[in-house]
Amino acid sequence: MMERCDEIRDDLIEFAEGALPPDAHRRVEAHLAGCAACTREAALLVETLTRARALPGPETPDAFWADFGATVRQRIAAETPPPQSFFLRLGTWGSRISWLRPLPALGAAVAAGVLLAVGLVYTPRGPRDLPPAESLVVGDFLAIAQNLEALEHLDLAENLDLLEQMSILQAPELDRTHARS
Amino acid sequence: MPHADFEVIRQVLAGETGAFDALVCRHQQAIFRLTYRMTRNAEDARDLAQETFVQAYRSLGSFRLQSSFSTWLYRIAMNLCLNHLREAGREDPTEVDARVPDGREDSLMALLTDERDRAVAAAIAELPPQQRATLELRVHQGLSHREIAEVLECAEGTAKANYFHAVRALQRKLQAFQGAGESG
Repeated sequence: MMERCDEIRDDLIEFAEGALPPDAHRRVEAHLAGCAACTREAALLVETLTRARALPGPETPDAFWADFGATVRQRIAAETPPPQSFFLRLGTWGSRISWLRPLPALGAAVAAGVLLAVGLVYTPRGPRDLPPAESLVVGDFLAIAQNLEALEHLDLAENLDLLEQMSILQAPELDRTHARS
Repeated sequence: MPHADFEVIRQVLAGETGAFDALVCRHQQAIFRLTYRMTRNAEDARDLAQETFVQAYRSLGSFRLQSSFSTWLYRIAMNLCLNHLREAGREDPTEVDARVPDGREDSLMALLTDERDRAVAAAIAELPPQQRATLELRVHQGLSHREIAEVLECAEGTAKANYFHAVRALQRKLQAFQGAGESG
């Protein structure tokens, strides 16, 4: 049974593009073989798309691209701090693992809890020689705490096991018993 | 190509900010082509294309590896173009690049071609922004309807419908132009 013109009309644009699946293409072709109006419509669509495609694009000499790249570099250097490195890289890596993605709010809460625990560890508690490396760890966490956005991307914080494996949290010199009391 | 982009993104996020140049080189022509076709003004197009890469660099930490980097760039570029068009009002197509005569074309044919190109550019410029965006992304950037939907952050059906409306509107305008030419 021959398709009606209004049923074919919706497919004519994709037919003109050559984008119809084979069965649909044959169905439209069969209709056009017996319908002068739709054949004319299809020809007009082909002409329209051909003219649109043929519209000239920008002409750019080679020097244009050298200047383009240099300007982008200058604008980035002048306006923008570099993208966050360590934790956002972790967030990017973590987002590829689907079971780490849920509950970013929980992750932020866990990360805040970790920071609090580390803060308790560094509460002054009498004469004690702190290894110099610990000051660097504190500095890292302070920098992190100052950028809460990084915490929102800390998808891996949901997984406490992975947190414990993070080298910046491992400080054998810490008195963890004191931190829990 | 997507894996190569992801590798460069990892390098930039790891601190090798100079590696971003590779992404610019790889995508600059496509992005400029898009911004030029949307604005039809070389200077505006260059500024918008450069701003696209600056914003991409700034937001690189939030790029999710589920989508392609080029689609993400197209989205940034298209948002900038649509904002530009909104602020500037419906622009007149100020430029249709004149074809460089190659010595073999008849000068009358070249003139007619220029006139036809101006008519096509004018007709596209008159389309509503979303229809125009789908037309440019489909016809000149070769994106699928699904990719266009991702760029424009709409449903695939919506992107397809906007595209079909754009093509039919363009067809009507070109027919009217041809009719005016034949009667004039």
